[in-house]
Order: sequence, then C-alpha cells, then structure tokens
Amino acid sequence: MSGIDVDLAVNGLITGLFYALMAIGLSLIFGILKIVNFAHGEFYMVGAYAYTLIALALGVPVWIALPLAFVVGALLGWLTERTLMRPLYAGYTSWGLMRDEYAVIVTFGLSLFLINLVDKVIGPYAYRGPPLVETSRVVLGPVLISGHRLLAAGIAIAVIAVTAALIKWSFWGQQIRAVSQNRLGASLAGIDTAKASVIVFMLSGGLAAFAGALLSPVINASPDVGIFPAIKSYIIVVLGGMGSVPGAIIASLFLGVIESFGAVYISFQYRDAFGLILLMLFLLFRPQGLFGEKGREV
Amino acid sequence: MAPSSAISPAASRSGAQLSNTKTTVEFRAALVAMAIVALIPLGVSNPYWLGVLIVSMYFAILAGAWNLLAGYTGQFSLAPATFAMIGAYTTGLLNHYFGVPPLLGIVAAVVVSGLVGLLLGRAVLRLVGPYLALTTLSFAEIMRLVASNSIDITRGDLGLGVAGLLDSRVGWYYLFLGALVVLLVLFYMLLRSKAGLFLQAIRDDEVAARRAGVNVVFWKTAAFAISAAASGFAGALYAHFAELVTPELGLIGQTGLIVSMTVIGGMGTLAGPLVAAFLVYVLSEWLRDVGGYQLAVFAALVVIFARFFREGLWGLARAAVQRWGRA
Repeated sequence: MSGIDVDLAVNGLITGLFYALMAIGLSLIFGILKIVNFAHGEFYMVGAYAYTLIALALGVPVWIALPLAFVVGALLGWLTERTLMRPLYAGYTSWGLMRDEYAVIVTFGLSLFLINLVDKVIGPYAYRGPPLVETSRVVLGPVLISGHRLLAAGIAIAVIAVTAALIKWSFWGQQIRAVSQNRLGASLAGIDTAKASVIVFMLSGGLAAFAGALLSPVINASPDVGIFPAIKSYIIVVLGGMGSVPGAIIASLFLGVIESFGAVYISFQYRDAFGLILLMLFLLFRPQGLFGEKGREV
Repeated sequence: MAPSSAISPAASRSGAQLSNTKTTVEFRAALVAMAIVALIPLGVSNPYWLGVLIVSMYFAILAGAWNLLAGYTGQFSLAPATFAMIGAYTTGLLNHYFGVPPLLGIVAAVVVSGLVGLLLGRAVLRLVGPYLALTTLSFAEIMRLVASNSIDITRGDLGLGVAGLLDSRVGWYYLFLGALVVLLVLFYMLLRSKAGLFLQAIRDDEVAARRAGVNVVFWKTAAFAISAAASGFAGALYAHFAELVTPELGLIGQTGLIVSMTVIGGMGTLAGPLVAAFLVYVLSEWLRDVGGYQLAVFAALVVIFARFFREGLWGLARAAVQRWGRA
C-alpha cells in the first residue's frame, strides 16, 4: 500500500464516520416505523445553519453552539414525529392502507418545505461555519488532514460509540429495539411504542443536525446542501440492512472508503454514482441488505 | 347512481359505475378548464406570460402522467422528471448529431422513454413504498449524473442546442394545449375502460386484485411505461420549445414540483393535477417579485394536503359543491 492509498483509506474512513452520524438515525426510523424519511437531509442542513448562525450571529462559543445544533435537530425531529408521523401508527390518516405512500409524500413535502423556507428566510447564499480549531493541517505519516476534520472525526467516533451503546444497553434503547423487531409484541409487553417513536425521531434529527454542524466549516451550507448526504444515507441504510445500527455503521465506513478510492482510481465525475448503483442493485436483488434480518411477525 | 346507496362507501368507491361517473365528472371539469386556457391568448399577448403558460402545460402533462402512475396505480416513482429528460435528450441528440427532424425525434422520444419506463417498471415490480421511492430516486440521480458528465456527447451542464419547431409563441401555446388535451382524452379513455379499474384495484389491494384475476404484472408495468412515454413526450416537446436540453430537466427539484402539483390538485383525480399545475406554476412566477415565499407555501400545502385531504383541492371543491347542492 503506497502513501496515497493510506491517505485515501484514512480520508474515506473519516467521511464514512460523518455518513454514519446521518445513517444511524435514518436506520432507526426505518426500524421503528418501516418508512424512509425523505426529509433527513434537511435535518442535516438545519443543523449546519443552526451551528453557524448561533456561533456567528449570536457570538456563542463553538463548543456551546455544537450541542445546541443537536438540540435544534432533536426539536425538529420531535415536531415531525408529533405532527406528521403519529397518524402512521395511531391510524388516522386519510390514506387508509397506503401508509408507505403517505410517508413518502409527507416527508418529501417536508423536505421541499424546509429547503424553500430556509432559502427565503436566510437566503440562498452559502454560509461557512467557524472551525472548531484553527490548525490548518496536521501531518500523520503519509496522511495530510485539517485540524478541524481530525477533531470532528474524533467527536463523531465518540458520539457514534455513545449512541450505539445507548441503543444496545440502555433501558430505552432496548425498548426501541423491541419495537423495531415487533411493534405489536412490544406493545403487548407494556412498551410505550409512541414514546419509542418520539425518542427515535429526536435522536435521529439530533444526530443528523450534529453531522451538519460538524461539517459546516467544510460544506458551505446552502439550503439544498442536505440532498447529497441524505442520498448517501439511503444507500448506507440499504447496504447495511434497513433498521440495523451496526450494519449502518459498517456500511458507512465501507461507502466512505469505496468513494474515496473510486474517485481517484475509477472516475472523479462519477464518484456519487457508485453508491447509487449499489443501492439499485441491492434493492432489486437483496433488499434485506448485508446485515438485515427479517422482523418476526406475531 | 341508484345502486351506490345500497352498498357500503368502501365498496362503492371501487364500484365500476360510480368510479366511471366520478372520472367522467372530472374529465368534463378538466375539459372546461382547458377551454378557458384556450381562450387566454385572446386577451394576453405578452410573450413572457404565454411562455409561463406553456411551461405550465408542460408540467400539467408531467403531473397528469405521474398521477396515472402514483395516484391511480399506487406506484410512487420519484423519477417523473427523469423521463422528461430522457425524452428531451432522445430528440435533442438525434437532432443535433443526425439532423433528424423534430417531429420524428418526438416520436422517437416517446418510444425510447416508454421503453426505459417499461424496463424500470418491470425491474421494480416487487418493490413497494419506500423501496420503490429509493430505487427510482437513485435511477433519477444516476441518469442526471450521466447526462451532466457525458460532456463529449451531451455538452454537460452547458446544454445541447436543438432545432426549433414553430416560430410563433401562440403556435407553441396551442401545440402544447393540443398535446395536453389529447393526453387527457387518452387517460380518460384508459381510466374509463376496464384497465382503469384494474389499476385502481392494484392500488387499493394488490393481493386481492391478483386473486380477482387482474394481471398485476402486466398492468403495473404498463402503467409505468405509459406514464414514462407521456413524460418523455412532454420533455421532447419542451426541448424544441426551449431549443435547449440540459440535465436540469431531471433535477430532484423538478420532480418535487411535479409531485407538489399532483398532491395539491388531488392524487387520483383526473382534473386536480392539471388545474393545480397551472395554479402552482403561474402563481410562483407571478409572486416571484413580491416576497417570494410561494415555493415554501406550496411545499407546506403538499404536507397539509397529504396529511389531511388526500384528494387535494379537487376534493375540497367537490365537498364544497356537494354541501352547496344539499343546502
């Protein structure tokens, strides 16, 4: 492995970490409601704006603005769940049996709404968030990396680890997993499934917003900045198996590395297409993903 | 309808008689709307506004085609704009490289986009809900990436210049209107025939439809192909109107506009999406200078309609008429 390969691998893994922040939430939502949230990228966009505006316009230190971005995303997730998702399982949509289709339209509409609202309220210009540290480059052997990116990657690892541990071992995490394995069974066992959905949406919104905030010094937030990260997380969730958190983490790192190498060795223009092709192939031939398992029915 | 009162609302909704009457009422309303549109050039001669209305008709065709697939058959594809782009590039490339005349190119565009729709429809047959939406979304993005990166062939984002077809803007206006009315009549005939019942039966309950003897594979694929062909037709017409083909025709935002128009107008109604296409596009051009919150408002309407009134503006209008008739 030559120096450039190590550099590509490390940078691909770091990109994968940011993908994982997005994909975990999406995967949890799929697990618990069996829907895809097409507004997921807009949680990311809102997080990037929240961090940037809180830090720059209000002059709040970046280390306080970062968790505040998480809070803003979580609030947005809570609002989405209460107003638009509850009908899915409380049974009062005007769509009868077309739950899946309702969810596609309502989240797609929410995505358009948030993009256009931010476009008018804040403006279509790109905003650049303040970096967490000013160090412009850190040299680690053959790897060259900006100080902010390295620090952000470290924070991402910590957040992913805490989230995964909470899902695995905490009381609410166990309840969430129970609901995603079998909603009816979980509710018969006395689990408050509505509360589990609220928690998942808040966590998912918060994590996506946190990813946006961490990347805001790099991505130059604009209203449509969330579209591509969202598409990446759809790819990851399908590859990793819809609803599986470890699957999402592994698939994120995998996709980050594939894109990093593909952009150099195959085609830079088509770097965004590799994952899309994988997504289509998986959905057509192996919809349960690499690690997905079929839920048990009562 | 005498028999409808005897059976439950759920059963009567898919009852052949009632469904046909409902479609016929919607068809007549749509024809009235198109007649009004046909009179507009008598009073409006401003080429800018005629252009806005022409683009509205382009979107009306796309919304109608997507409605056939999503509203009537229950297949929520997120690639309607992509088929318009495929149609536009078919005639655009044929014209640019081989000098194929526009009319022949448009026919080729219908065939090519219909075939691509057939293949995609066949491939996604088993996928429902979120899986279908994701597969078609990735198909859309891949096609757009190919169009914008094959710079040697398509000139990428710069766009491909293509020949015009008509000189007069009023001529284009009536050409688009004619195309829209022809498609409206075709969709009406399709929906009024048994095929329309098959499609709606598949939407309401695919398993039950199969048990009742509907050839689900055939009709789902056919709906995909017809919808794609109609979208490709619109895209090809638009290519010769704009005299330019760009990958922007296939942007997610364009699909967003098509979905918005259909949901606001009323999914699964013949007239709603057509009228809403005019409403949404004309209003968004008109309000561009004042405030400009219209796109956010339309998106909010999509969410609200999806959440509360699945039949959109058309459903609201019908309810209002019924209440007024009863009083």
